Amino acid sequence: MMIRIKRENNSLSEGLRSFFTKILGLNEIDALFLPLEVYGSDSAMPALLTDPEQLEHALPFSPAFPVNSARMVSRLSFRQSGRKTAVLLRPCEIRAFIELVKLKQGSRQELVIIGMDCPGALTWADYRAYVQNGALSSDEFIENVFSGTCTNIKGFEFSRACTCCEHPFAVNADINIMGFGVDLSEGMIADSCTDRGKKLLESLGMPEASEPLKREEIMETIKNEKSRAAEAMILDIDQRTGSIEKLAGFFDMCINCYNCRNMCPVCYCKECVFNTDVFIHKPFQYHQWAEKKGSIKMPTDTVFYHLTRMAHMSLACVGCGQCSNACPSGIPVYEVFRSVSSVSQAAFAYHPGMDEDAPPPLSVFNEKEFEEIVGIGDN
Amino acid sequence: MEKFEPVIIAFVCNWCTYTAADLAGTSRLPYPDNVRLIRIMCTGMVDPQYIIKAFLEGADAVLVSGCHPGDCHYINGNFKARRRIKLLKQILPKFGIEENRLRLTWIGASDGIEFAKVMTRLNDQIIEMGPSRIKPARVI
Repeated sequence: MMIRIKRENNSLSEGLRSFFTKILGLNEIDALFLPLEVYGSDSAMPALLTDPEQLEHALPFSPAFPVNSARMVSRLSFRQSGRKTAVLLRPCEIRAFIELVKLKQGSRQELVIIGMDCPGALTWADYRAYVQNGALSSDEFIENVFSGTCTNIKGFEFSRACTCCEHPFAVNADINIMGFGVDLSEGMIADSCTDRGKKLLESLGMPEASEPLKREEIMETIKNEKSRAAEAMILDIDQRTGSIEKLAGFFDMCINCYNCRNMCPVCYCKECVFNTDVFIHKPFQYHQWAEKKGSIKMPTDTVFYHLTRMAHMSLACVGCGQCSNACPSGIPVYEVFRSVSSVSQAAFAYHPGMDEDAPPPLSVFNEKEFEEIVGIGDN
Repeated sequence: MEKFEPVIIAFVCNWCTYTAADLAGTSRLPYPDNVRLIRIMCTGMVDPQYIIKAFLEGADAVLVSGCHPGDCHYINGNFKARRRIKLLKQILPKFGIEENRLRLTWIGASDGIEFAKVMTRLNDQIIEMGPSRIKPARVI
């Protein structure tokens, strides 16, 4: 079922606000989770909201992407709360959350997931500059990004993860808010993707809408364009990191802060091995390494950490780019992880977050598979 | 030129390949001492990071060897290991570590002769490949 989120007072964002107010007003919904202006700032952070009055601070579509909300939604759903929450997520956030659900770190049971056509995001550093230089109004932003192929906003390029994102359209949502191909002069369109979503949309009593013409075509164009950008990016990064020496050079400014891991939505271990005693080496050990190699960089284990993380999480990587965002040294971590995950995911024909029923590749096996990698070749 | 003596790190499972190595020993079968055995309880417990660490520390090859399919002491650890090796065989070549430097074999507890043969052959292959490019690197 499709409904029209009509403009109110000629404004798209006011229309969206009243859509969310109606959802929050439903008996079966207790709270909303969506980006909200931070108290004392124009900047946006995801928030759990129960007071409809405060929806005036909501920023459902903006180029702000401070964290991958899958982590927060996991916090809200890993045990039952006795409350129903409607959560508004970007497509990559939904995909990451689906991976977390598979890993038993969250549950959809008490959630209604509202997805959206992703407008893309700026890097977190650019976002600050964008806000300080007079951000576009919500309406201007929405009209800009959904009008076609918009590659920058007020001169700021969208983040690399977004320009190379092959999945900017929500999958596995209950409801999807559509912008691409939609006649925005009439307002945006919400489409139900599950029974739960359909029931919710029906109970809102909003006017029905029909499938926007040419949407498929526009989606295809956008996907192709982003695939091409991703291919070019991967070619380039492979050249820059094609050996361990180059990889060490790529991570030259890494200060082992582990922010990339902390902000990674699918790096879910409660205790990461790199935070355990295993990596609190004895003083003599450092000396031994230095004696063996002539010198040893400190902090140690930098390349080791990144390679290990590639092995541990690249199969679940949804390419949200928060690792790059979180790096205080400005290393484009995302690019090398995206390149690695493209080959590791292909080896297992696994697409994280796309199929809820597909088990994570390392959690299962078949007795007859990959037999070609066993043995030493000629005996 | 000095002959290249590779360093080969072999993670061998307690129940099969290690026992085979033991059998090779008691049968006085020689195998290259370039192969350094690390006994583990099951190939299913070899975290990818052990293998990565071995390569970063300059190993010329890493072998993971366990029980034949169906013989795993823990039912299916070897199948899980196979998936992890498959994964690493995708990742490591991206960074110049050739796929063939990482090997997986099944050698049963009674295969002492087979063990000595595989180790000798593997050693020959790695000598042919030449040293790992990471060897002189200062990375860790």
